[in-house]
Amino acid sequence: MLSNHPTLEHIFRRAGWYFVTFLVAITINFFLPRLGDANPVDTILAKVSAGLDSASAKAKEEAYLKEFNLVELDATGNVKRDARGKPVRTSLGRQFINYLGMSVRLDLGSSILQHPKRVSEIIKTALPWTLALQLPTIVFGWLLGNLLGALAAYKRGVFDRVLYPLALLASAIPAFCFGMLLVYVLGIRLEWFPAVGGYDDGLTPEVSWAFFQSASYYYVLPFLSVFLIVVGGQAIGMRSMCIYELGSDYVKYAKLLGIKERQILFYMFRNAMLPQLTGLALALGTMTSGALITEMIFSYPGLGMAVLTAIQGSDYPLITGCTLLVTICVLIANFSVDVLIGFLDPRIRAAQLGK
Amino acid sequence: MPETRSVYRSEVSCGSSSLRVQLPARAVRLLAIGVALLGLADCRPKQDEKNSGFSRAETFYLGGRQWGEPSSFNPLGTSGWPISTMNLIYETLLMYDSLSGQMQPLLAESYAVHDDRIELLLNPAARWNDGQPISAWDVSYTFELGKKYKSLNIAPIWQYLNAVRAYGQDGRGDQDAKRPMSGNDYPRHVVFELNLDKKNPLVVLDALQAQSILPRHAIEPLLAARGDNLDEFKKLKFDQNVVSSGPYRLLSYSSEKIAVVRDDGYWGNQALHGGKKPVPKYIVHPIYKSNDAFSVALRQGRLDVSTTFVPRIWLKAKKGVRSWFDREPYFVTSSIPMLLANHQRAPVSDVHLRRAMAFAINYKDIRELAVSGYSEPLEPGLILPFGLERKFFSEEDAKRYGTRFDPERAKAELEAGGYVAVFGPDGQLLETRGPDGKPLPTIYVKSPTGWSDWESIVRIAVKSMRAVGIDARERFVDTSLFWNALYEGDFDLIMFTPSTQPSPSKPWSRFEALLTTRDFVRTGQRMYKNMGRFNDPNAAAYLPRIDALLAQIPTLTDDDARLSAYRELNVLFMQLQPDIPLVYRPDTFYEFSIKHWSNLPSAANPYLPPLIPGDRLGTNMLWSIAPVSN
Repeated sequence: MLSNHPTLEHIFRRAGWYFVTFLVAITINFFLPRLGDANPVDTILAKVSAGLDSASAKAKEEAYLKEFNLVELDATGNVKRDARGKPVRTSLGRQFINYLGMSVRLDLGSSILQHPKRVSEIIKTALPWTLALQLPTIVFGWLLGNLLGALAAYKRGVFDRVLYPLALLASAIPAFCFGMLLVYVLGIRLEWFPAVGGYDDGLTPEVSWAFFQSASYYYVLPFLSVFLIVVGGQAIGMRSMCIYELGSDYVKYAKLLGIKERQILFYMFRNAMLPQLTGLALALGTMTSGALITEMIFSYPGLGMAVLTAIQGSDYPLITGCTLLVTICVLIANFSVDVLIGFLDPRIRAAQLGK
Repeated sequence: MPETRSVYRSEVSCGSSSLRVQLPARAVRLLAIGVALLGLADCRPKQDEKNSGFSRAETFYLGGRQWGEPSSFNPLGTSGWPISTMNLIYETLLMYDSLSGQMQPLLAESYAVHDDRIELLLNPAARWNDGQPISAWDVSYTFELGKKYKSLNIAPIWQYLNAVRAYGQDGRGDQDAKRPMSGNDYPRHVVFELNLDKKNPLVVLDALQAQSILPRHAIEPLLAARGDNLDEFKKLKFDQNVVSSGPYRLLSYSSEKIAVVRDDGYWGNQALHGGKKPVPKYIVHPIYKSNDAFSVALRQGRLDVSTTFVPRIWLKAKKGVRSWFDREPYFVTSSIPMLLANHQRAPVSDVHLRRAMAFAINYKDIRELAVSGYSEPLEPGLILPFGLERKFFSEEDAKRYGTRFDPERAKAELEAGGYVAVFGPDGQLLETRGPDGKPLPTIYVKSPTGWSDWESIVRIAVKSMRAVGIDARERFVDTSLFWNALYEGDFDLIMFTPSTQPSPSKPWSRFEALLTTRDFVRTGQRMYKNMGRFNDPNAAAYLPRIDALLAQIPTLTDDDARLSAYRELNVLFMQLQPDIPLVYRPDTFYEFSIKHWSNLPSAANPYLPPLIPGDRLGTNMLWSIAPVSN
């Protein structure tokens, strides 16, 4: 029946594949952080147990292991220990089953390092800042970059000669370098903009003009540090794509046919846009992983730092929670592009269906 | 690439003039929109325009204690978020003054150390913020929590205590703790009965100035409602309507800052501070994500005091940033980072090799290059040659037995141990041969990755050791693996700072952390003191004298007897060189800005030790500082 609706069939097929990818991804997300030697209890113990006597340290370790469900208990509720006196950790398999059970209930569990805070709560407070920083930079950067790139390809001349090297420079500067440069020059030397933080230390987040003003003022440097780099990268990509399209047969043919410039331009833009769209989707998908470097340099709130500290301290639930979020976003973004491109570019759909 | 270029060239001639005219207009419009967007964002609020939030003149900003979003303010919580352990909210019985060595009163107005007990008398004015008096029952209850729940920080003190008892003025015992309290009819007299088998008043004094006292009438019912299950109790966040005794209350917290607000009804204003209130109405701790951010904020006057590492602080002086001293060493140092040697692993178990290392290391380079000069010149041994510990330091012993940077003596020590260094033609060390003529395995120095000051210290030490012919190398490991390696004894040499905080038990606790053989286990099992497994009590070479001195020193009251015991212990340390001290470091850093507040303590104005407000005695500065009028 679906064969009568090639578009639908295409969408369903893709969805199926994405579901399989999702399952594989969450399995990897679960096992990868747990494969190493490090474990979160050691990290916490390290902070609190230097200088303790062995009995108290052991009591502490057992309390943590029990609290986080990382250890096998015997019938009396005591921690099982092996021949060397080390606690027997809950097997990965059982942890995985627990994890799947919780995931089905949409429960991400509690963070270990920030116990007893829920992972969902941590994500909820950090996500708005990450989105506020990433979404506008990516969307506006992508738009402006593509327009500038296309312009450079059409206009050539001085415009291209100035823009192209600038774009190359912007896209080639490592983000941390550029960010630090901005902080140093505009934040510390000239003191035009605040160097660290998301808003004035004297304010608390609320819906008020003062807070909005302060937050936008603090937003400028972190925004610029990502924005210019995105613009540069997109401009270069779009410029090359447009140049390639300008040289393709259909443009020449259209010109020979005497089709209007604007019409040709539209065809060309549409074609040159396709790979750029995929890039946009990927960027939007991965944006939830946070702009770690920007967050660190500007001490800006967001998810990147949460992920980093989680990984450093082997905070399993928080790592899996964040990677799950990223996985879902990347898959959704990719899926939407797949569908969208299917509509924009019939060749892809046809190829997918083997026709 | 060349292909693209040729396509480009061929197209140059195809461009139409109409396109060229149309597009700039569009581009200009778009650019204008972009610029306008950026311009919109740049609406700088004026400093005094804020009508919400904390006004600068009433707010004191401190930094460096909190590095992530606080998850809980539970005083028995696991994560130990600093603000709840600071005496802004809960208070300790006493406060240790690391400048004078005296205990300052807080909840307790006086204390006395007797042969078998320590007695305290609580301040009669001390009140919880709900008006209840702070009684001896609160104290005994708080300490007894540690007897019941072995995982609490207060638990270890019970090996040194028999009981904590509350007495009324008439000597009535603590049997009637359930009796309701009214007026002045409650016990104020606390007796800590020492365990005489392990007599150690020093560690009990440490606990008296470290443990915050909790309100029994608030905590006990909460625990009881959860079946006395500590894990369930720890899930309470204690972030609103908390019964506490300190001068401030929690106001708000987020991933960006923690704010506390002054409690104008604080009991100590009358009882301890002559009726004055703390000057700042708010204390705010912004949460930044790197040391650099705290440095920048301090420089810009956004922070008033910080306890982070600020490199090359003398460069920030003209921006109003100050430290305790205005010249080297800038900070008051109190701890000794060192290399622990593994005494159960050859070749570092050989004293000749350890002493050779100690002679080989260029301590001056470490002080000047790795820690910005924030250290006094290193003297041998474990006793600080300045400050309160100076009276136990013997220059004579240090000269006779100590190791100092001296490559020639390092080489002599290697030769004495039968080691031969083999250098290549370019002067690079190829290998070190042991007494049996076989090449030694490379000695690895472990340190956590990313702790940049320790990394530099280790690099300098390794370079120095290689220069005299010891085949050592750096090994930087992930932080959690580092701690595991440390406790399980999985190292040749490892960076560590023993017992850092200035407290009544110094320098004894530093020796004890490194030399005690209590709970001795072989490498592979965890040991939380003496991680180098020095002085194995089951070995033939066991020196019982060291353990005897460690047990004896805390019981000594006579200064001469203490001096001779410390001297003997320090000489043993210098001769056997179980570990290699490298440099002196502050326990906590203390820098402040003079932009918004004046009269913060410093070497020129040393009315309090270098601690940030909230950290032990540092809190008292809040009654003495004054806003700078602009």
